[in-house]
Amino acid sequence: MAVTISDLSKTYPNGVKALKNVSLSIGNIMFGLLGPNGAGKSTLMRTVATLQEPDSGSVHVDDLDVLAQKNEVRKILGYLPQEFGVYPKISALDMLEHLAVMKGVTSPKERKEMVDALLQQTNLWEVRKKALSTFSGGMKQRFGIAQALLANPRLIIVDEPTAGLDPAERNRFLNLLSSIGREVTVILSTHIVDDVRELCPRMAIIANGELLLEGAPAETLAALNGKIWSKVVITDDELKALESQMQVISTHLIAGQHEVRVYSDSSPGDGFQPVDSELEDVYFFNLSQQARN
Amino acid sequence: MRMFWEFFSFEVRLRRKSISTYIYFLVWFTFYFLCVASESFGPVANANGKVLLNGPYANTVYATGASIFGIIIIAAIFGTSILRDFQRDTYQMLFTKPIPKFAYLGGRWAGSMVVTVFVFSGCLLGEFAGTFAPWADHARIGPNHLMWYLQPFLSITVVQIFFIGSLFFTVAALSRKIFVVYVQGAALFMIYLIGITVFSATRSLERFWSGIFDPIGFVYLDDITRYWTVVERNTLLLSWSPSVGAGVFLYNRLLWLSVGSLSLVVLWALFPMSVEALTAASQGRRAAKAKKQEELELRPVRTLVATRLPRVHRVFSTWAQFLSLSRLRIYMILHEIPFWAIAGLMTVFAISNGYFAGKVAEVDVWPVTYLMLQAVEGGATLFLYIVAALYAAELVWRERDVHFDGIHDALPMGETIDWLSKLLAIAFVEVVLLVVTMLCGILMQTIAGYYHFELLQYFKELFVVTFPQIMIFALLALFVQTMVSNKFIGHGIAIGIFVLVPILFTWGWENTLYLFGNTPPYTYSDMNGYGHFVPALFWSITYWLAISAFLGVISIAWTRRGAEDSWTARRRIAGARMPRLIPAAVLCLLIGVGSGAWYYYNAHVRNEYLNAKQRRQIQANYERNYKKYENQPQLKVVAVDTRVDIDPARRSFSGWAHYTLRNKTAQPISEVHITDSQQSVSNIQFDRPFHRVSSGPRDIYSIYALDQPVAPGETIAMTFNVGYQSHGFRDGNEKAELAYNGTFFDSSYFPTLGYSQGLELSDPRRRREEHLGPLEEMAPRGDPAQSLYSLFTKDSDWITYRAVVSTSPDQIAIAPGYLQRQWQEGGRNFFEYSMGSTNIADFFAFISARYKVKREDYKGTKLEVYYTPGHEFDIDDMLASSKAGLDYYRANYSPYQFAQYRILEFPRYRTFAQSFPNTIPYSESIGFIGRVVKKNDIDITYFVTAHELAHQWWGHQLIGGNVQGSNMMSETLAEYSALIVMEKKYGKDNMHRFLRHELDGYLRGRGGEVRHEPPLALVQREPYVWYQKGGQIMYTLADYIGEDKVDAALHNFLMQYRYANAANSLTTPYPDTRLLEADLRAQTPPELQYLITDGFDSIVLYDNKAVSATVTPTADHKYKVTLVTQARKVKADGNGNETPMALNDYIEIGVFKGKKDEEQPLYLKKVKFTQEQNTFEIVVDEMPTRAGIDPYNKLVDRIADDNMMDVTH
Repeated sequence: MAVTISDLSKTYPNGVKALKNVSLSIGNIMFGLLGPNGAGKSTLMRTVATLQEPDSGSVHVDDLDVLAQKNEVRKILGYLPQEFGVYPKISALDMLEHLAVMKGVTSPKERKEMVDALLQQTNLWEVRKKALSTFSGGMKQRFGIAQALLANPRLIIVDEPTAGLDPAERNRFLNLLSSIGREVTVILSTHIVDDVRELCPRMAIIANGELLLEGAPAETLAALNGKIWSKVVITDDELKALESQMQVISTHLIAGQHEVRVYSDSSPGDGFQPVDSELEDVYFFNLSQQARN
Repeated sequence: MRMFWEFFSFEVRLRRKSISTYIYFLVWFTFYFLCVASESFGPVANANGKVLLNGPYANTVYATGASIFGIIIIAAIFGTSILRDFQRDTYQMLFTKPIPKFAYLGGRWAGSMVVTVFVFSGCLLGEFAGTFAPWADHARIGPNHLMWYLQPFLSITVVQIFFIGSLFFTVAALSRKIFVVYVQGAALFMIYLIGITVFSATRSLERFWSGIFDPIGFVYLDDITRYWTVVERNTLLLSWSPSVGAGVFLYNRLLWLSVGSLSLVVLWALFPMSVEALTAASQGRRAAKAKKQEELELRPVRTLVATRLPRVHRVFSTWAQFLSLSRLRIYMILHEIPFWAIAGLMTVFAISNGYFAGKVAEVDVWPVTYLMLQAVEGGATLFLYIVAALYAAELVWRERDVHFDGIHDALPMGETIDWLSKLLAIAFVEVVLLVVTMLCGILMQTIAGYYHFELLQYFKELFVVTFPQIMIFALLALFVQTMVSNKFIGHGIAIGIFVLVPILFTWGWENTLYLFGNTPPYTYSDMNGYGHFVPALFWSITYWLAISAFLGVISIAWTRRGAEDSWTARRRIAGARMPRLIPAAVLCLLIGVGSGAWYYYNAHVRNEYLNAKQRRQIQANYERNYKKYENQPQLKVVAVDTRVDIDPARRSFSGWAHYTLRNKTAQPISEVHITDSQQSVSNIQFDRPFHRVSSGPRDIYSIYALDQPVAPGETIAMTFNVGYQSHGFRDGNEKAELAYNGTFFDSSYFPTLGYSQGLELSDPRRRREEHLGPLEEMAPRGDPAQSLYSLFTKDSDWITYRAVVSTSPDQIAIAPGYLQRQWQEGGRNFFEYSMGSTNIADFFAFISARYKVKREDYKGTKLEVYYTPGHEFDIDDMLASSKAGLDYYRANYSPYQFAQYRILEFPRYRTFAQSFPNTIPYSESIGFIGRVVKKNDIDITYFVTAHELAHQWWGHQLIGGNVQGSNMMSETLAEYSALIVMEKKYGKDNMHRFLRHELDGYLRGRGGEVRHEPPLALVQREPYVWYQKGGQIMYTLADYIGEDKVDAALHNFLMQYRYANAANSLTTPYPDTRLLEADLRAQTPPELQYLITDGFDSIVLYDNKAVSATVTPTADHKYKVTLVTQARKVKADGNGNETPMALNDYIEIGVFKGKKDEEQPLYLKKVKFTQEQNTFEIVVDEMPTRAGIDPYNKLVDRIADDNMMDVTH
């Protein structure tokens, strides 16, 4: 299953340019879409998930034209929106049963197997008869994951799936996803770099509606090798001075002190240590590059 | 105080910036503007035509109306002011600061109060502005008096805002849930409606406590103003005085003011000003919930290794998807509390209505299925529409409201499936509610002891007629909700359409084809089923279903799916979906256009379509064009020979008639003028050369000139064809006279010679609209010209009559007269009736239906009741009443001129019984289903039968001239005769209750008078005078001077004046009420002559009252009652202006045992009163319980309740 996105543009009625000529080609793999909030990730994913119309450009899933053959795409789709709610007074079990029917699992036996398996996998078995509306945020998110995986979808689009999950559940989910990802195309959007690092053979970074980078995480790391420098600064003034002088790509607080990471072809000066580049550096480097341009 | 001011001004400022404040204001402004500016809008404009639209009574009604419809607005302002902090969680910040309770609660409350009063001032300003509208009916707009605006506003509206507002404020503050506030508002509204329905259904005459406890005001408003005359309505405000209207208004206002204040005290006492206390209850629950979830989350986590998910086969079945979606949607509705709250309220409403299905105006009837359906369905309909509107919105918006749209919209289903599942869910819950309604009806029939369950009729009414109409509205609501951007705008539009249709209707926009969802009115009749209403109902329902289904298809195309919300994007998506939907859309359109065209062809092409105003214009034009001929001498009909062939299946009849016309005047007559009001007469011929001079539009008035004038005393023959053909169906206004089973039409289908005053518009409002002057007064008694005309038929005096009537083979056809012959010919039933040489009034009818007949020979008179099988309930009662009446009238008035008396049932499209010569068509709704449950029940069938029988004397022997007062000589005397016949059966003591209702009817009638109230002897067109007042005056007269004296007077009067003008020339004038009075006076002792003067010649009202009554035992073991009474007497003019009269009257005083309403007299005596205050000492043998003045309400007294009181020790 290959997703081909060509020249996708979208401007909202309020003037926000959510996508600017985005083109992407996604093979039969787990694909990570990284970007800050408001970057246009959700717009892109909604467009692929048939829920939004672009102003121009096209999206194809294999031979299917997403914009014209929405229902065909929906038949192979598993989608988890970034934010969703649930109907009140209906249990997880009933709701999954219903959604399974809607997704074409018409054999009652198969439906039961599938729903039970998912309830187990998402650790919702114990509460399957509880009303969804009583679920906590994390439980609700797991329900969302379960419904996205119903009926062996061949294209899975998950928008910020790990938001609201505790670390253990996040791990479980990533495991589950990677076990499925071998056979299907998964597009995963996140602003958590680790999600991508742990899961995705290929990734893209989007910000302000523009595609900044696309490639395998390892390749992108190689490009920054030896160009990331780190220094710990003590005062805010010092930090400000650094920011005005060089290309600071990120700062972290470590025990109350700022660790500043700077991009530079050679040593930027006193006190800077060369460090191994991390995926996060790639991310912040691309964002800061965009901001500079 | 500064903090108070802070909160107060914050509240006011917030509301000042809120658009809703101005919308509320504008709603009131517009509504009350229209109440004054339009003569067809609003409670006062639509009622009595003389009450000022900006007068004190009107303002009081407006203020009361605003009290009930304003509940929602009051709730919205007061409720939200306190809830705001809790909804937005700002209370956490607020209550951690040191705020005095008074400042917080008081500020919020006072701010809301001020804002609400401002909003409601829209009523006053709207009304004020309305008085300047140039197009308004300025005859009904008086000068604006500030007090007339302010007093009702302050004493009704502002008190109501205070009371309801404080209650809502308290409930909101203590519950802190908006849901509770809304439920409270809805419950209050519903419970009030139920209470009012129950109360009015009982027709109880109890008024004091019900008025005081009425939280809205309709009961006390009716209590106090029900007998107000026009003058009073245009000068009086509801008085604050405790002595006016027993102080009901004052006590009511004080009661509810204190309830409002009490609720504020309760709030003050219970409202905690701390975050902990405010959240304690919910925090406990929330904490428990969180803890539970934590437990669940902490259950041993399974292995982190993901197992493979099973493989499944995917078969996309739209049917399975449709079922699953529908099941889900229905499941959710059925699991909601509001749905069950609505269903519960609906059930309560249907049951309470159903309980009164068998009670019509305190008369018990069998709750036959159409009455029961009317009751339970009437109670349920509003709820069915609310559910349709509510759930259309919920279903359209649910995914978006709960944010499930992201998942739902990406499911592989068509929009059609999704939409159909919503429709099915609404249909399903409506069916559930309709089944509940049906069960309520069956339950209440069973409880009432009526076991003839007509399930098919329930099914037809609820599921074939009502259900599609609700679905039409549901489809519209789905469409509206799909198109608009917000649920509440959608509700507004749906309600707007719902409300607009009846408003447009009153403005003359009556066409079913453009009033959304409208169907023509219909009436179910046990005789005729849904009868001729079926085609119009079927086609209008088909038409609107097709149109709303078309809107449904459009809604599918416009269904929101995905994140696209902009209008352009939605239009593009709709355009993309449309191709697949076009076949369905076209099909709906074809059905809509086809059924609409068929409807149009029937209602507008095959039949003439006229709205109410156009029909009035025909009447007005008739008066304008032809009134000039009113007094031109005409020939008189003296013999009628007719042949009428009724075709019930086609609702048609045809025939011919042969009239003999005589010139009874002293001059030759050369013109014959003919009024043909029903356009049913054609081919008029005379037995001498003639030509038609002119004919008006619709041939409503034609003038024929005879080449050779008819000499005085000479007769000529006139023949014509008569008939009416029904074609297809009409848009409402079907002729009630023609039915498949139950045809009944009268001589109004036959020509009238000369101008007919009866066709003139009588409503003063409508006359002004047509620029006609006031309706002409009837001629005074003794008018030489009009005294020579019969009151009922100007173009005839007495006639001989023969008719041949034919009908379909399964029906019996009847006309006045004795059956001469009966035969079958060409597969039809023929009947020949003739009166032989007996003269009758020129008033005949033709009736045909499938009848069963009960016959009885009583002392030489054949009694017959023609009834519908199944309506056996009252047959024996009717026969018993006929016999009792015949006995009494023959013995005391004069011999019965006929040898038969026949009662014939006709469908309830019209609700009266009418006395034709020896023939009484009797509506199925006022007799035939009567039922006497308790011994002292009012037996209305017995009464009406005796009344109609009495008309064979009063109306068919004695007819008055065409002058003032004559109507009482038929109606009042028939009413009196029936009262006496009823008294003979039920006894004097049981008449009290019936007379109280007669009195109530009279006093209400004069309150609604649109012209001026005449004294009884001068009555013109005022039924409340000739029935209720006349009956009471005559009954009291008989009580005072003796029944035998009255009968003697009536006998003398009748024998002297009956069959007036039967001669061949106009010699003797018809009698008038002066002659009747003279005969009555001749039997009345001098000291009671005033009864006739007061009762017949003027309008006299008493104000009698028991002031105190105490009892002390006497030495010889008896009881001495000391009774203090007050007696006053006033005289009123036609408008209700009263002047005091000196008292010189005999009034009864009485002492009773037994409890209220079941009193038994221990002492009863008529005493002469000459002063207002009197004290009596009466010794009785037994322990008395009640005592009073005029205890049986024999005199006209506006406060009948205070005549008796409990005796105290």
